[in-house]
Amino acid sequence: MKYILLMFGTKAGVDTYRAWTKKDIDTHMAGLKSLANDLHESGELVAEQGLTGPEEATVVRGQKNGMPVTDGIFPESKEFLLGYWVVDVATPERAHALATRLSTVPGPGGAPTNMPIEVRQLANHPLKWS
Amino acid sequence: MKYILMMNATKAHYDAYAKWSKEDLQRNVAFMRAFSKELKDSGVFVSTEGLAWPNEAKIVRAGKDEEPITDGAFAESKEFLAGYWIIDVESPDQAYEIAARASAAPGPGGIPGSMPIEVRQVLTSFTDLGI
Repeated sequence: MKYILLMFGTKAGVDTYRAWTKKDIDTHMAGLKSLANDLHESGELVAEQGLTGPEEATVVRGQKNGMPVTDGIFPESKEFLLGYWVVDVATPERAHALATRLSTVPGPGGAPTNMPIEVRQLANHPLKWS
Repeated sequence: MKYILMMNATKAHYDAYAKWSKEDLQRNVAFMRAFSKELKDSGVFVSTEGLAWPNEAKIVRAGKDEEPITDGAFAESKEFLAGYWIIDVESPDQAYEIAARASAAPGPGGIPGSMPIEVRQVLTSFTDLGI
């Protein structure tokens, strides 16, 4: 069963993160790397990807002539995707356990961030379009 | 430059989509498949995924004993990720052009849906975060 673990944050949350000390950021990254290594070893990691900050986020719509219309204005409350992990696991409980581990990656002072992680199953046919 | 093109949808959007006719759904899925194939043929394709409907979406946090705390309650306005494409292109404008094509995926009656597509550059390294 493939699940995607989604980490979201507001602009305010990203600004707070950028104000962390270098040591806190290094510890945080080490926690994420350790998790990625474990998932590589267990064979459960399908893909992981971080996104750049929300400042450059753009919403695009197609016009009738096919040309893009771009907009970069979002509500303050907008949750931006910060990154995701796609995992192939045996049970939903395993996906929840991995999300919990993501949520316990250290934040400021080494305390767990307790970040909420959204857990979703990937689509199968007929919505699978690739 | 790698970009992610994201389709987001509220539960109301999903409910509306569920009421599309079979023909409309088939036309939409056929477009998505052809679109992915074109991205592959033009050499910009990196990956794509569609997500299952959000009925079973859960928010997971670690409790004090590091046991999972799961919650399935979301605000009505919550934007759920419906699917994404990652593309490797030469410029932001090329990403926007491709996003505009995704936005024109046919909706009911074959009329372009004009879905908003969120376009974000993906990280090649964590220094891109500006920290």
